[in-house]
Parts: sequence; structure tokens; C-alpha cells
Amino acid sequence: MGSGVWSTDVYDAADRYRRSTGRSAFAYSDSGARTVHPQLDPRGAVRESRDSAEHPESISIAVLFDVTGSMRDVPRVLQTKLPKLLGLLLRKSYARDPQIMFGAIGDATCDRVPLQIGQFESDNRMDDDLGRIVLEGGGGGQMTESYELALYFMARHTEIDCFAKRGRRGYLFVIGDELAYDRVKAREVRNIIGDDLHEDIPLRRIVSEVRRRYDTYFLVPHGAGHAGNPKVLSFWRDLLGQNALELDDPAAVCETIALTVGLGEDAIDLDAGLADLAEVGSTVTASVSNALAPVARGGRVLSTWGLPGTLQGDDRISRL
Amino acid sequence: MTHVLVADLGFGDAGKGTVVDWLCATGVQGRPVAAVVRYNGGGQAGHSVVLPDGREHVFAQFGSGTLRGVHTHLSRFMVVDPLALAVEADHLATLGVRDPFRLLTVDGDALLATPYHRAANQAREIARGAHRHGSCGKGVGETVAYSLAHPADAPRVSDARTPAVLGDKLRLLRQRLEEELGPLGGPPVDATVRAFAAFGSRVTIVSPGFLGHLLGVGPVVFEGAQGVLLDEWHGFHPYTTWSTTTFANAETLLAEAGYAGTATRLGVLRIVTTRHGAGPLVTEDPSLPFVDPHNPTNRWQGRFRFGHFDAVAHRYALEVAGGVDGIALTHLDLAGPALRFCEAYDWTDRIVPGRRGDLARQELLTRRLLRTTPRYAGPPVDWPQAVSRALRVPVVVTSHGPTATDKQVLRPNWAARVRRAAAA
Repeated sequence: MGSGVWSTDVYDAADRYRRSTGRSAFAYSDSGARTVHPQLDPRGAVRESRDSAEHPESISIAVLFDVTGSMRDVPRVLQTKLPKLLGLLLRKSYARDPQIMFGAIGDATCDRVPLQIGQFESDNRMDDDLGRIVLEGGGGGQMTESYELALYFMARHTEIDCFAKRGRRGYLFVIGDELAYDRVKAREVRNIIGDDLHEDIPLRRIVSEVRRRYDTYFLVPHGAGHAGNPKVLSFWRDLLGQNALELDDPAAVCETIALTVGLGEDAIDLDAGLADLAEVGSTVTASVSNALAPVARGGRVLSTWGLPGTLQGDDRISRL
Repeated sequence: MTHVLVADLGFGDAGKGTVVDWLCATGVQGRPVAAVVRYNGGGQAGHSVVLPDGREHVFAQFGSGTLRGVHTHLSRFMVVDPLALAVEADHLATLGVRDPFRLLTVDGDALLATPYHRAANQAREIARGAHRHGSCGKGVGETVAYSLAHPADAPRVSDARTPAVLGDKLRLLRQRLEEELGPLGGPPVDATVRAFAAFGSRVTIVSPGFLGHLLGVGPVVFEGAQGVLLDEWHGFHPYTTWSTTTFANAETLLAEAGYAGTATRLGVLRIVTTRHGAGPLVTEDPSLPFVDPHNPTNRWQGRFRFGHFDAVAHRYALEVAGGVDGIALTHLDLAGPALRFCEAYDWTDRIVPGRRGDLARQELLTRRLLRTTPRYAGPPVDWPQAVSRALRVPVVVTSHGPTATDKQVLRPNWAARVRRAAAA
């Protein structure tokens, strides 16, 4: 009579059955599609994360990742790992009513699908969005992708009740290995999102705008093309301070995000979170620990996170 | 063609996994094993298999022949836990089993263990405090109990194909359990339905007739869970399981398929009598220098307990199970001067089986066993001979280590002995 070594979790099990089909999770992309899936088209779209009777205290979590060629196989690794995120958050009660959205970032100057944005979902339906993401494999040669366009969408085209009703910021995780362009170009916004924007917006301004509503993190996974380049990390540190993190192992992305949310929601401290990971048999504890150690060292998480490296103007935001 | 029924004649953990793996690796009477059938218990089983190349898996619902590529069939007597099954399949995939679900069929009538059963089970064990029954905390007993109280409303594997029906059953189940036990927590019903529906669309659900086809293809190994001494009727009540752990279910399945009397019965015993959880273990000896890496102390069962070989208890198991044709004796590598052999208790050398269903008598027996002192002979020189003599059944195979290559066949023609009269 054994002791039941196999864990039992409805969210986790649903993910596993879904993934066990043997079909590539990037089915849409692998089928040869080279245009944005209608469900992920940012044009004229608003993405909402609303409270409901079942989820009265929604907390919005957006995960956008770079799908250009420099990321090599990292997007596929992320795709296989990200479906675990909801289960991780719920199992350990890191967040009560998480609503998760996935999206993908390319390069607006040369890619056909520079921005793909899913819906916020409270159950595993957002996994379907992952399957609809087109992998670009393109990107320019200049170590720059259109992250700023994604930030613009998050700042101006999402409505999140956690912030609007309760003043709690959501979480935005951008996973990539390159720099952003220095401004949001009005022409690209018109073409891709459809807003009638007449002048470009400087990168810093859109960063500060999005950070009003989202605790924003940039994760640089090892194994991506420019991950070892110190310029990338320092570029994002300059914009986001400690919220620019290095990730030794892209397979650790879910655990890193889940723990970050758990810390932000004050549900755990880093040691307790790492102990949780060890308990579920995670093999990536060391990677997560490395990634989050600088953040945890900053003292009480809520008061120090969110402070940008350079304090200027309306960048002075701290989480209350 | 001979089928093989495997059951544990102790309290579980005797090595059914390694015996089934060995059968699947070597075949039965020169023929490859067609399938492993689970005929009792549920996802609480923990049957360890180690391959010679070091790969290792603890089988809970998949049959212990899976690493040999042998098909698993979960019969209607099995309590199926779709959530744990998904995790187990993933682990098998990491060991190199390509698409483990391809190797699995499940009878649509089998009961489903749900998170609400599990929560109820744990709530009850917590309420029992120090008087825990040694339940695994997985909700298997709760699942069976509910199905007996509400047969028509019990969630079954085939319901995974009709989410609306499943949802109604789960809501009713949760409501009834909460009326009895208070708030249980657990995931929202909709989330459970989605997970179970994913299970339903992924695994092959079959009707009862399917087993007949398997039995025609080649030798089938029936893999029992737990141990005869934990049997719901013949075990030492209340320290028992909600499952028939004798050969009865396997014989029923054979008879229904028209294959009654075509199986040889293999009883598995280890030379150290062990028990995980509370209840009588007459020969328990905390000074025995053993540990079991697969049975860590857990919250629900507590410590893994070791005792000397208890021939009286195993004789009783043999008797209530209706006898076996051969014994697979395991863990011979643990033999040594510390390990003794209990031939008799201070009051008897035979526990007389009671009438099936007389739990009051079983409870009296339990109380007596808790006060019983064992009488020991010294450590046997020849373990297989000592066990054969004490139980009057031949030891046909011995296990001296974790892998199939550590098995020694003592009776090459062991599978030829077939019990003609199908006991039920």
C-alpha cells in the first residue's frame, strides 16, 4: 500500500491531458499560418479582466513573450511550461482569483505578426490562446524588438478591475532577450492596433504609464540569443530596476512568475515559496532562487518592488 | 493458456510491482503477457518497479508491466483517479514510455475518485485523531462508501464523456458530503469537470466485454493492490481498506468473461512482514534495521512498520483468500541473523476465518491481536523451504533485489498449476 506519490490537482491534470495529445502546442503556427489568429488580433481590441461572482477579487496577470528568431527554442519551452501557471498559483493559494492572459511580441518593423494578444481567463482557456500564437522566427538584426508596442497595448487597451475597483495593480511579465525601440511609433499603432495616434510616445513615458496599472517585470531567459549580452539586462534595469530579472533556465518561468505573484500578493516569502517548489518536486528551485534573490534581498517586497532604477517625474510609483 | 492472479498475502508492500514486472519481462509459459489488469483498490497503490538500467517508477494506476510495453486495463472494480493518472502518465513519458495512454483501457463502470471524496476522507481521518485507521488519505474508501450509499449517483468513468451528467453528479456529491462533514473546500466543480472531461477524451473507455478479448489474446496478469490482510471483510477491522483484496474480484472478472478456472494464483510475501499505518502487526520489532525508501512516513499513514515473518497471519491470509498455487517470496536479500520466523502466537497457531461480513467478530479479533505475543523460531537457514513448509504451498520464485534479473525461479513449471474450481 503506497502513499500516493502522484499529486492530484484538477488544473494540473487538465493541462497534462491537454498536452499529452502529442500534437504540437503551437498547432496554429505549425500548420503554416503566418497571420495573426483572429482571437489574438490586437486591432481595435480591448482586453478585460473583470470581477465576477465566482471570482470576486480578480487579479490580472499578463505574460507576453518574444517569439522572434533570437529567442531560438525558448518560446516552445515557454509554451509547454506556461499551462502550469494557473495550477501553481491556485494550488498554493498565491493568488485568490488570478486571471491570466498570454501574448506574443515580434518586431513591427519587419514581422508580419508583431503583436498577438490573448484574453484574460480564470481557467485554462487561455491555453488555447497559447496554441494560436504564431512563432515569427524573424526579427531584425539590430537587437531590438517592438516591446514598446506591447506595453502601449497593455497601458491603453486593457481594463482590469483589480486596479479600477480596488486600486491593486495587476502583473505584467515580458519575456525577451532584446531591447525595446526608443519610442512607440504612431504609424505602427495606427496600422496594428488601429488607434488614431498622431505623435510618437517616448519609451519611458509608456513604461511609466503601464506601470501605474501593472507591476511590470522583464525576464531574460538564458538560452536565448542575446541573453548573455549585458547591454540587454542593463537596458531593462534602467527602465524597471530590480524588476528586470535573469532566468537561468527557461523551464523555470512558471515557478518564477508564480513566486513573484505570491511575493507581491504577500502570500509567501521567498523561502516559503522555494520550499513549496521543493515540495512539489520542482527541479528548477535553484534557478528561481537565483532569479528572485536580488528582489528578495531588497527587504520588504511590497515597498521596494516597482521602484524604477531612475526616479524621475511620474515614475515615482510604489505599491501600497 | 494460463492467466496469473497476483495478490499480496500480507498488509501490502510485499513486492507485487516487481513480481508483475518480472512476469511481463519473461512471459508466462513462454508467451508474452498480453495485458495487466487491475482488479481492486485505486490510485493509492504504490508498486515499485526498477529496471536493470536504473529507471524506476512507482505504479499507482498503470499496471506494473508498463515499462515493458505491456497494456494496462483498469477493470470496473478499480477506483480511478484521473488527476493522479495524468501525473503518473507524464512520469512514465519521461522514462521513455511513448504515449502511455496508448497502453491503457478503462472500464466505463469503474468509479471515479474525486477531490471531494478525498477532502471528505481527510476530514474524517483528522476527526479520528489518534484513532486513525491508517487510510492513505486518497479518498478511495470514501468513493466506495458513497457508491454503496448512492449507486445511481456515483460518478463513474463513463460520465467523463458527458460533462453535463458528471457536473450534476459532482454537485450532488459535494452537497451531500458537506451536509455531513461541513465545508470541504476542493476545486470548483466546473474545474473538476473540465479535468475529468480531458481524461475522458484522452483515455480509451471500454465496455465490460473488452476484457474477454484481452483474455483471448494471451496470458493476462491480474495485479492486486494492497494486501489480503487489509481486506474489507477479512482484514483486522477497523484497520482495513474499502476494497476486496482477495482474488475474488479477479475470479469474478474471469468467470464473467467465460474464463473461469484458467488462472494460476500467485501469492506474494516478503520475508519481513510490514505494515504502513495503524492496526495489528503482531511481530512488529522497531529494532529491525530496515528502511523502505518507497514508504516514507506520511501524514495519513504515519510510520512504515517492520516485523518478523508472521506465518500465522499469512496462513490466515491464505485461508481467507481461498489458497494459492505458488508463492513469490521477496526481499531475500534482507535475510540475516536479526530476522526471525513466527510459527505461532501465544494463544494459537491458526486464526480461524470468520463468516464474511461479521465485522463485530473481526473487531474482537483485532483487539485480541493487539494483545498477542509472537513465539519465534530462530532465523531460517533456507527461507523458501521454511515458508513452503509453514504455509504448505510451494515457493515458486524468489526475489533477491529490485529488478527482474534478481529473480530466481525455483519451479520452472509453476504456471501449469491451475485451480479448477473458481472460488468467489
